[in-house]
Amino acid sequence: MEGITAETMRLLAAGIAMGLGAIGPGIGIGILGSGAMQALGRNPEARGPIMTNMILAIAMAEAVAIYALVVSVVLIFVA
Amino acid sequence: MSRKGCLGCSLPVLVIIIVIVLAVGVISLLSGALGKALVGDVGLPELFTVDPPHVQLPAEVIVHDAIGGFDITNTLIASWITIVLLAGFAWAVTHRIRVIPSRLQGLLESALEWLLNLCNDVAGEKYGRRIFPVITTIFLFVIMNSWLSLIPGFGSVTYATVEHGEAHVVPLLRGANTDINFTLALAIISFVFVEYLGISQGGGLRYFAKFINVRRFGQALGQLVRGKVKSGLGGLFMGGVDMFVGMLEGISEMIRVVSFTFRLFGNMLGGEILILMMLFLMPWLLAVPFYGLELLVGAIQALIFGGLTLVFATMAVMTHEEHEETH
Repeated sequence: MEGITAETMRLLAAGIAMGLGAIGPGIGIGILGSGAMQALGRNPEARGPIMTNMILAIAMAEAVAIYALVVSVVLIFVA
Repeated sequence: MSRKGCLGCSLPVLVIIIVIVLAVGVISLLSGALGKALVGDVGLPELFTVDPPHVQLPAEVIVHDAIGGFDITNTLIASWITIVLLAGFAWAVTHRIRVIPSRLQGLLESALEWLLNLCNDVAGEKYGRRIFPVITTIFLFVIMNSWLSLIPGFGSVTYATVEHGEAHVVPLLRGANTDINFTLALAIISFVFVEYLGISQGGGLRYFAKFINVRRFGQALGQLVRGKVKSGLGGLFMGGVDMFVGMLEGISEMIRVVSFTFRLFGNMLGGEILILMMLFLMPWLLAVPFYGLELLVGAIQALIFGGLTLVFATMAVMTHEEHEETH
């Protein structure tokens, strides 16, 4: 057994990158959904614009989690 | 025949369906990695074994140096198939176009009308029709690319090569969105289109005045020269803030290329890896909900790419007409 090697740290870094990187977007998407639900509850007729804008904003928040995913995948498979 | 009963089928049909699903589930559990961990190797025939997944990040090259040093990758072939399908569909619908549409023509008409309404809603009547072709192209191309990669045969039709002395199995087709070259190209196209629209509408240098905002700074310098020191210094400070904010806007404009690229690439690659891992864990049953997720994600990412390009293009032309009523 060699102890902690560079390979070990790479895998650990990949896990930490994705794990920590998913906290922010997860909370952000939850806040967006909550705002959309409240708006929908107040004004059910405005369903179209509310849903469209919610999907757009959720994809923007999710993109940050995807950046973390790309870093993690690069760490495992390329670096 | 009575259509009532459990879930709309008669009881014998329902029992047959449940038996088939259970059989598929048991076989997939036994032949996947989950089954091997839980139950051990049962010794299923060669047909049901699953190789450990091998994730390949860069797109695999099929033909080296095809045209003057330019490699042909499997994602390129997949995007050619998309182009042929889209163009073929459009030609088949429009080469005998009628006032009362046939069903295929009605399908294309409803899709294009939905996109045109989206463009008009966001960009207003004046610019919606102008921005429409680029947005539709981006949307249809991305969505067709991502949905085509879910058809069985994509990624499964492989051929074996020997590369660097070891045997490789290379898939012949791979979804084009998983190639970072493709998403980067699309992001650059979108960026150039937005800048071109801003410049052609705002008139050349006036568009860049948004990023290099020296107006207030210059005014303040003028005031200082004429002797009004106090307002001159205040204006100098505000002018400095304006220049800094303009520089930040310019940087964020260019970061959009990176953000577009990695959003589409990461989503599509992540989906591909997810399905690969699910197929490895429990081959037949577990991948089905994730195929559904991939359908949804592909459509949403196409909408995001097209919709964000639309929003940025709108912002690029709206700043030139200050506070004009559009909605």
